[in-house]
Amino acid sequence: MKNILVIDDAATVRMYHCNILIEAGYHTEEAINGIEALEKALTTHFDLYIVDINMPKMDGYGFLKEVRSQKDINQVPAIMVSTESASNDQVLAYSAGANLYLVKPVRPNDLLSYTRLLLGEGA
Amino acid sequence: MAFIKQTAPQVVNEDERTASRDFDGLCAELNNENQTARRWAARDLVQFSQASAPLVARLKIEAHPNVRTAILDTLAQIGDEQAITGIVECLRSDEASLRNEAIEVLKNIPEQVAPIIDSLLNDSDSDVRIFAVNILESLHHEDVEKWLIQVIEQDEHVNVCATAVDLLSEVGTELSLNALEHLKIRFADEPYICFSVELALKRIGQGDR
Repeated sequence: MKNILVIDDAATVRMYHCNILIEAGYHTEEAINGIEALEKALTTHFDLYIVDINMPKMDGYGFLKEVRSQKDINQVPAIMVSTESASNDQVLAYSAGANLYLVKPVRPNDLLSYTRLLLGEGA
Repeated sequence: MAFIKQTAPQVVNEDERTASRDFDGLCAELNNENQTARRWAARDLVQFSQASAPLVARLKIEAHPNVRTAILDTLAQIGDEQAITGIVECLRSDEASLRNEAIEVLKNIPEQVAPIIDSLLNDSDSDVRIFAVNILESLHHEDVEKWLIQVIEQDEHVNVCATAVDLLSEVGTELSLNALEHLKIRFADEPYICFSVELALKRIGQGDR
């Protein structure tokens, strides 16, 4: 079963994304900021990260930059999810190492389609 | 697996604080090439009530995170209108880390933030309105629920309302129930709003907060 790390400081958002993914047959784990996510990413195998941008302690950009600098996990795909739709944020997200950028609120079908795409499962 | 730290350790030089510690001397030190000297100057300026202007000016161009943290902390302690305005301006920054740091600082000064919450919640930038709701999370002010109800009744941006619902599920009471029900109708085609409102209604109904 594919393992997905959902990173967001809002508990409701984590629960929403996890519910969608679990119902589709994925295993999920959660982290509330970039620091906690990085600790989990370095000790547990994940197939995909779903990352919020604005979080305390370490934001989503910081998390992805650290992941991309770690040789054992730097190939894990990442979807960056944020409330911000400004084009500059998308540029920053891709610069930090995101594979996709989605604007909240994410619709279940979109989340699943892009998840399957990045996991190489087809939409 | 080791977490590879990529920044070199910063050498703290005691000489950094031998420069003049009067107001003019510290303001000059804010522009020192050495980040440690700038950080000490930012900290030591806390004793001068007129320091907000030079600190805010430096904050606009300061790139080092440790110096920015020191400036934000000192501005929060000074807490006058100019200092708060300077911190609030960081909410419009392109840098997520600076925005988040400003949010955390503002959460800790409820007395100074409460008078400007209404204007932040009515800002033309929806991201600033979202950050304002984030600030309410830890504001410990008696009007927090009233402000959140106002947001979900009036704000037209789905993510501003969604952020307010997240917080209402933690701090809301029976006073929020009607507004939550109306929000679910207003955004009936948004699965996330329906999900979060149902969760909030359940938690409030159970007294699980």
